[in-house]
Amino acid sequence: MREISVTVNGRVRKRTIKDNELLLDFLRERLEVRSVKAACWRGECGLCTVMLDGHLVKSCLVLAVEADGHQVKTVEGITDDGELAPIQRAFVSHGASQCGFCTPAWVLATHELLQANPHPSDADLVEATSGLVCRCGTYNQIREAVAEVSESSRLRRQAKESLARV
Amino acid sequence: MSFGSPYTTLPDFEYHRPASLEEVLGLLKQYGDEAKLMGGGVGLIAFMKERLMSPAHVIDVKEVKELKLLSNVPGKGLSIGAAVTLSELLEGGVLKKDYAVLHEALAKIADPMIRRRATLVGNLCEAIPWVDSPPALIALDATVTVAGPDGRRSVPVSGFIRGPVDIDLGPSEIVTAVEIPQVKGAQSAFEKFTGGSEFSLASVAVMTSNGGRNRKARVVYGSVNSTPFRSVEVEEAIRDGITPGSIRKASDAASEKVECVDDVLATAVYRRHLLKVITTKVLRRMMSR
Repeated sequence: MREISVTVNGRVRKRTIKDNELLLDFLRERLEVRSVKAACWRGECGLCTVMLDGHLVKSCLVLAVEADGHQVKTVEGITDDGELAPIQRAFVSHGASQCGFCTPAWVLATHELLQANPHPSDADLVEATSGLVCRCGTYNQIREAVAEVSESSRLRRQAKESLARV
Repeated sequence: MSFGSPYTTLPDFEYHRPASLEEVLGLLKQYGDEAKLMGGGVGLIAFMKERLMSPAHVIDVKEVKELKLLSNVPGKGLSIGAAVTLSELLEGGVLKKDYAVLHEALAKIADPMIRRRATLVGNLCEAIPWVDSPPALIALDATVTVAGPDGRRSVPVSGFIRGPVDIDLGPSEIVTAVEIPQVKGAQSAFEKFTGGSEFSLASVAVMTSNGGRNRKARVVYGSVNSTPFRSVEVEEAIRDGITPGSIRKASDAASEKVECVDDVLATAVYRRHLLKVITTKVLRRMMSR
């Protein structure tokens, strides 16, 4: 047993854990962050995806002790003002979730993709989310949601540029 | 707690996070057979869940500075530390030009989240017949550097992999890096066929060089036998250049001369057919470059 300290969505969380505990269990069971889903347990479905030090990882393949002293972000932490992120609004308007089980992982992954690359191509989207599955098959709606956020940020940028010219 | 099922929990072990290579060697000397080294952990954690491995000690080498080194010396070659991740190798673009075969092999491994954790040395040391990095590394004539109680030694990757899940590494030793020589005028490429499964059913790694009069070709097949298989006959077929004629000869030789096994993933007959297809594909791609 040892005490670890992990910053989760900006808050320092300390817990005493066993060395063989997974980051997935630490987040879901000890901290009750229920958006992190436990499904395949073997790195295939991607529904336990979280950000570890700024990068997406599958938390069923990371030990909790490995996160000691590091930063974790889950979907709860993608905005800090309590408002929905643009991609979350787009998921709602496009019906990009059916049963909703995989939605937190998809929102987190597509949000991070759009942060890094505001106008991803279809190939970029497929590659970035190749480690995630949606068994309801909402891939088309997710693609439409990503396209909408990409398009609206293009329009906002163009509007800003034309305003700057007048 | 969701603990309980053998497939979701890990066996008990003590976790160590050494900060230097010296410390790693000290831990290995102390625990030896009872310890497993962990780089990204994506392999080890999966094996532990399946109870294929139950080490009493897990030594995480992620924070060891010496093992994080990635150095590219033009004209000489590349040195890739044991803690360097697949993402670091792919995103830096360091492999793209002179080591394309490795870039192409690594870019198709698993997915970006797994590549963010997985290391090249970890992938190599798994030595599972269907992992993709060994054929590419053997095509590039890479060697591994091993550190142990008696100092350092260097082993070619082809000899390092002794059999399926069997590598030339003692219980108190660690692979510190993979060294890849830069070959003048080298061209290389990788191709695999997975048939939609997570495992390769057949893969091929090719490296050719026309530096001066000394033409070289190395062709290595993966996933068709218990260890990577280098084919002298296929190499001979393309030694004088890649042309439509030599591609036909090479792909015929691949399906006739490469030893293939029957297993749960595919039959030997099917694998021989795949070898013909992927050999043609990879060589056509190299010809049109």
